[in-house]
Amino acid sequence: MLILSRKSGESIVIAGNIRVKVMRVEGDVVKIGVDAPSSVPVHRQEVYDEIQRNNQQALMQQNMPLPKLAATPEKKAE
Amino acid sequence: MEMETPAAVPGNQVRLPTGILGFEQFKNYMLLANPAEMPFAWLRVADSASLSFVVINPFIAMPNYAPDIPQSDVEFLDLKEPADALLFSIVTLRGPNCATLNLKGPLVINRHTHIGKQVIIANANNYSVEHPLPVAAATV
Repeated sequence: MLILSRKSGESIVIAGNIRVKVMRVEGDVVKIGVDAPSSVPVHRQEVYDEIQRNNQQALMQQNMPLPKLAATPEKKAE
Repeated sequence: MEMETPAAVPGNQVRLPTGILGFEQFKNYMLLANPAEMPFAWLRVADSASLSFVVINPFIAMPNYAPDIPQSDVEFLDLKEPADALLFSIVTLRGPNCATLNLKGPLVINRHTHIGKQVIIANANNYSVEHPLPVAAATV
């Protein structure tokens, strides 16, 4: 892993078009600004971890009876 | 983008080139729908008949669900218009009559190419990975 020291207000540039700037440091909280093209998704790591954990809980190793849904507001033909 | 979810993709085969988060090794799936189990469907790992995910049209649980699909994913899936996409949420069964669905990371499938992806929506902060599914009170 590349490790760089940056002061508040300083930035790094990734691939020429993504700028990550240290906006402010308050105690153990670092505010980070990310300037990236809209085509580049930026998420907190926790979102990936949360979805991955949920996927692991959702994986079915065998067929199980599915619940019956309550009456829904959306009506579909059939 | 607004999308609809029919019973099953014609041909039933779905390829997820990036896999499902945590299960990147599985890329080929079969989408199976049993009329008696509607509106649920099964996304079964093609190479392993015993592994599957239960999926559902998320709008059944949340009619005003408004996932913001990132432009990079729209391009990855080659979606030219919203009608090209099928949208599913992964269901977690938590008990005989208790289930939740993941609204942060829906499955988006191009209905023409059968290529799909588990997308982290840009407005994931507005939704839960454990949204309760409204199940009927226990019956027979």
